[in-house]
Amino acid sequence: MSTTGKPRPIDERRAQFKRYKEDVKKRGKPFYPFAMFHDTVMSLVVVTVIVGLATLWKWTSFGPHHDGLNQGLLGPEYTAPADPGTTSFVPRPDWYFYFLFYLLRIFKWPNTVVLGTVIIPNILLVLLLALPFIDTRRERRLTRRPVAVVAAILTVVSMGVLTWKGATAKEALASEVILDVPSWIKANNLPPAAVPGAKLFAVSGCTACHTYSGSGSSNLGAPDLTSIGSQNLGITFQINHLKCPSCVNPGSPMPKFESLGEQRLRQLAIFLEASKGPK
Amino acid sequence: MAARRPPSKSQARREQMSAAVNFPLDWLEERSGLVGGIKYFLFRKVPGDTNWMQTLGSATLTAFIVQAVTGVILAMYYKPTPEAAYSSIQNITDHVTMGWLVRGMHKWGASVFIILMFLHMGRVFLFGAYKYPRELNWIVGVLLLAMGMLEGFTGYLLPWDQTAYWASVVGINLNGTAPFLGPWLAQFLRGGQEIGAETLTRFYSLHMLVIPGAIAGLIVLHLYLIIRLGVTSPPWSAEAAGEEWEDEAPTELRAGLTRAGSGGAAS
Amino acid sequence: MDPAEPDQPHVPAPTIGPVGFAIGVVVILVGLIVNPVWISTIGVVIAVIFAFVWARESTSELRGRRAAVEPEVRPAEAEPAAAAEATASPDSAERFPRSKFLEASTLGLGAVIGGVVTVPVAGFAVLPAFLGQKRHEVDLGPVSEITEGQWYIATFMTDPAEGETSRRTAFIRNNGSVKSGSTQVPSFTIISNRCAHLGCPVQANGPTGAILGLKDVVEVTKNGKITMTPTVPAGFGCPCHGGQYDTEGNRTAGPPVRALDRYSFDIRNGRLTLLSTFSVSQVDGTGAQAQIHAYKLAGPGQHVDGLEQILYPLQPPHH
Repeated sequence: MSTTGKPRPIDERRAQFKRYKEDVKKRGKPFYPFAMFHDTVMSLVVVTVIVGLATLWKWTSFGPHHDGLNQGLLGPEYTAPADPGTTSFVPRPDWYFYFLFYLLRIFKWPNTVVLGTVIIPNILLVLLLALPFIDTRRERRLTRRPVAVVAAILTVVSMGVLTWKGATAKEALASEVILDVPSWIKANNLPPAAVPGAKLFAVSGCTACHTYSGSGSSNLGAPDLTSIGSQNLGITFQINHLKCPSCVNPGSPMPKFESLGEQRLRQLAIFLEASKGPK
Repeated sequence: MAARRPPSKSQARREQMSAAVNFPLDWLEERSGLVGGIKYFLFRKVPGDTNWMQTLGSATLTAFIVQAVTGVILAMYYKPTPEAAYSSIQNITDHVTMGWLVRGMHKWGASVFIILMFLHMGRVFLFGAYKYPRELNWIVGVLLLAMGMLEGFTGYLLPWDQTAYWASVVGINLNGTAPFLGPWLAQFLRGGQEIGAETLTRFYSLHMLVIPGAIAGLIVLHLYLIIRLGVTSPPWSAEAAGEEWEDEAPTELRAGLTRAGSGGAAS
Repeated sequence: MDPAEPDQPHVPAPTIGPVGFAIGVVVILVGLIVNPVWISTIGVVIAVIFAFVWARESTSELRGRRAAVEPEVRPAEAEPAAAAEATASPDSAERFPRSKFLEASTLGLGAVIGGVVTVPVAGFAVLPAFLGQKRHEVDLGPVSEITEGQWYIATFMTDPAEGETSRRTAFIRNNGSVKSGSTQVPSFTIISNRCAHLGCPVQANGPTGAILGLKDVVEVTKNGKITMTPTVPAGFGCPCHGGQYDTEGNRTAGPPVRALDRYSFDIRNGRLTLLSTFSVSQVDGTGAQAQIHAYKLAGPGQHVDGLEQILYPLQPPHH
């Protein structure tokens, strides 16, 4: 008790806790078998789920798949052995790190990298640890804890969105995009002259920023190119634009593709001009 | 003393059996006190209205035990060198009897463990069960969450396939971007300048010994605190609010909080 | 001893003295038959030791020592005076004036033991990651096999003894020769394929190998099998988080914090040899005329220039 004799809030909480404990002792039910029964049922569910997933994984996977396709419902049993010299692999963490992974894609300016990698995750961890010292109110009813409920909903929603976006993030991996080319040709009725350009388009990293016929991801405002041909910009324009995009279109962040050489630039231009969209 | 009826045959047999069971238990109890401890744990009182959501904690513990047991068995067949790791996993999956099941349980058990930890954390948060006097237990729980995720990260490297290798490259370099100590931390984790055999054995040691030891110790502390501090009622609990007591003036009641003593002095 | 039965002979419990003495005598006798020199001597030693023990036990009462009692036996009732004396024990500090010394030495010795165990173990865990980094040199084969002006994706093992874990990839272009002082020196652009953001494998943005219709250059050197796949890149791109680089390795888009790392090289006996890697903030110009702003090797994601370089003042040791 404080020196003035008036009970401090902590003393009141101590007294209430003491009464709570006495009340539980008097009117509570023994842990075994009442609560332990619930725990046992739940544990049985957990073990069943784990065994079920393991069995389903075995049944649906088709051995090692080095191309990332035909994964089976729960993924392959193992991918290719580690190759530190590869140039055709898209690293991804385990799914429960996807929200952190996507944070790295959000902070795409070089000056902000350390924010996404280290600072923000650590701030979140510290906030989590300090929660009992941030929220010291006694109230436990949800209807009277608006800040807590809103924070919980925001956290769950944002982590869910970040995890989902991390899971669906697509990359312009040349060895994967090249396999989409036949479907491009079919869907957009591309003439045979456009096929070499289509292949070049697939392996030159264009789909890192542009979308085309369902492939690729849009980044930095790069337009979808499925129907670029219907704008009838002309072969010459396309070649000049590819050689130096910022010369033709000031302020464009698109890098130069000059080093591909005249012949390949022409093939790309033919492909782009032939892309008039799906029939 | 009134004369007792002579015990029936079945009653006598039951008494004999209970004496036979109790004898070793009493022997153990007198020499260690363990039986009494377990009995205290089993028969301690918990609020009568505990919810199904409050089983998530013990479900997480079950998932961890599954991981520990399957992990120990996997460790008997896994070889932690870059040359042999991949083929030992292939061996476990394809050739060892029930190896596919143990490996599958371990891999999916990891995801289940992490999901259950997050659900349990959410339940504790929504119940307000991190408030006085359970702040320390919450901190222990957050540390358990961090340890669990680290366990998943270190275990991810062990199969030494493409996914494992590159996820670990990025993860370690992530640590390397921390200011000042980052490059040193990354080099320590890698066991050198490049990821190689030292990284694999280092991660294996962390995954098998250091982090599970830390998790086990924290779990013991976590359980001790739960037993000592008691289990909470759900915050909407009518019983906790003492609504059925008619002899308490309504203003004395604080619904959802620790209840006032029955018939005791006003708070 | 029961005082009610004075006639009962006093038979004390067997102790070890007489038994051991008897055994010693037996060993002497056996030794006389089997091996007088060794076994009898042992028997004599045993007999003497236990005779001594026996004598001490028998005479313990004479010497005023109390009779041996079982441990953990306490008298049923202490006399009131003795009880009072026992409970009114003087202050611990007075009775044990050395407790402070014992405390300090316990803690001190404990700290020393802790240190002796922990420091070498911690050193073992921490130091090898930072000491004794090996220097790797990679022999990529004759320069004549590397067509001038053509980009190649070269994979090699930096240390064949370590096997596949030491496999690395670099983008190589032969820039021909450039004038340096009064001589012509060879110029190569050799760029590491590890992204400067978080170390993911960077790919060449352009047709490669089979699509080009060109065959790989394959050499077998002391670094094992070297494969060089021709490519025509417009730049380089990283599939992890969308980093993009131009053909000199400068960052053009995305989160990379600097340009791609480069290998320093040497031409030995007409063979291209890769030496150590270094970090690059920026490259001005192209090909043989490139001005490379080089820095000590830093890990991915670590700035080497600009304001943020103060975050990474000290790099761990490496070759």
